[in-house]
Amino acid sequence: MIPVCLLVELPRGEAYRLDIDPPVSVFHTDDGEVFAIDDTCTHQDASLADGWLEGCEVECPLHASKFDLRTGAVDAPPAKRPVRTHEVFVVDGMIYVQPSTEAPNLPPCIAARLAGEPA
Amino acid sequence: MTSTSLPDSLITTLPGSAYTDPEIFAQEQERIFEAMWFCAVRSSDLARPGAFRTVEVGRESILITRARDNSIRAFFNVCRHRGAKLCTEETGEVKRAFQCPYHAWTYDLTGKLVAAPNLTKMPDVGRSEYGLVGVATREWLGYVWVCLAENPPPFDEVVQDVVARLGDTESIERYDIDNLEVGKRIVYDVKANWKLIVENFMECYHCATIHPELTEVLPEFADGYAAQYYVGHGAEFGAEVKGFTVDGSEGLDRIPGVTEEQDRRYYAITVRPQVFINLVPDHVIFHRMYPVAADRTIVECDWLYLKHVVESGKDVSRSVELFDLVNRQDFDACERCQPAMSSRLYAKGGVLVPSEHHIGEFHDFVQERLGTGSSQ
Repeated sequence: MIPVCLLVELPRGEAYRLDIDPPVSVFHTDDGEVFAIDDTCTHQDASLADGWLEGCEVECPLHASKFDLRTGAVDAPPAKRPVRTHEVFVVDGMIYVQPSTEAPNLPPCIAARLAGEPA
Repeated sequence: MTSTSLPDSLITTLPGSAYTDPEIFAQEQERIFEAMWFCAVRSSDLARPGAFRTVEVGRESILITRARDNSIRAFFNVCRHRGAKLCTEETGEVKRAFQCPYHAWTYDLTGKLVAAPNLTKMPDVGRSEYGLVGVATREWLGYVWVCLAENPPPFDEVVQDVVARLGDTESIERYDIDNLEVGKRIVYDVKANWKLIVENFMECYHCATIHPELTEVLPEFADGYAAQYYVGHGAEFGAEVKGFTVDGSEGLDRIPGVTEEQDRRYYAITVRPQVFINLVPDHVIFHRMYPVAADRTIVECDWLYLKHVVESGKDVSRSVELFDLVNRQDFDACERCQPAMSSRLYAKGGVLVPSEHHIGEFHDFVQERLGTGSSQ
């Protein structure tokens, strides 16, 4: 489990970008729920933490594909594949993320870099 | 001085080239429109956060919008990445950000760079430092004024043009222009130099000849002395005239702050470099000029009425028709002059008669800004 930040440090409607590899973003929704997904849009290297949070969805700031924070599912192109979701725990006011063990769906250049190829 | 001395009644205008030379126009763009406060848009045109307008100010395209906190923001309409024009529409509304259509650099309504492809791999790229570059803004009389200068002059320069005409600021405040509503807007594309339009607006020597309807409403205009010749003088409506309308028929509801002294009078103000304001008891006519070339000027004219007059759908057409007619008569005259500005005959310019001598102050202003000294 990876500690993220104190819940009180993450206001509702905002996101925290966890700088691990690949990065994960943690969202605190307007309804008070906390979700974690891969930070990188599956279409192009854009940070979803910089995107627009609405309800349980985040819209990629670059090309407007929306991802469901609960399932990682994408609504419409240009992104076609879902993002990974990660388990979140809040213990004594501290947010923790349990990274998924599934393979991530990263955009081509990042996937190549993670595989050790030149980006 | 000109080689032949003029009779005392006459003073010279600017030379013909001042109205045709693209280089002089470029200097005016730089030293007047990009240096002074420029009246850009009606604040109510940016009704909600994300509503925007793009306007040409001098040689620059400026993007004006309203941020989430309802504050007005104005930026150079240029992407910081590779210089693409960010917004190509003249007007519109974005939900939350401006995105460059070239590489998708994305800026929020305060101009901050919020996203770009691979931006997280460039943590050294400051999001404010590489945000949109702002220009100074000020709201006055319900309009957004912008100034592109690095060190804007005091806004009081603008206000002082009103004081010079009316004698004080209270006189214009009584019309409550901030809270009036646009009842009609007409945009004119005038094939004439902007200075011909200013000069025309400043004098009334032409009124009896080209404005028969206006002169019916304001009989003293037949004397040729514009309201702008005096300080604090409003031209009085004719005795039979009921309102400031094309046929002298009844106008709309009088603006409550207008005093008895101001009632049944017409006031006209030139706010340099590109605004004309006309005050009558029931409405305000507000012109903004956008000079686009030495021989072309866009004029956007708003007819402003009390909110309830516009909202109740009252017929404002007869009051709109009067000044629309005046505008078209004036712009026709300016367009008639423009071709002759490059005539050999007009190389040294023309002359101003006594009722036009105050236009000489406008010429001095232009030449001072351009650093070209007194005429000839």
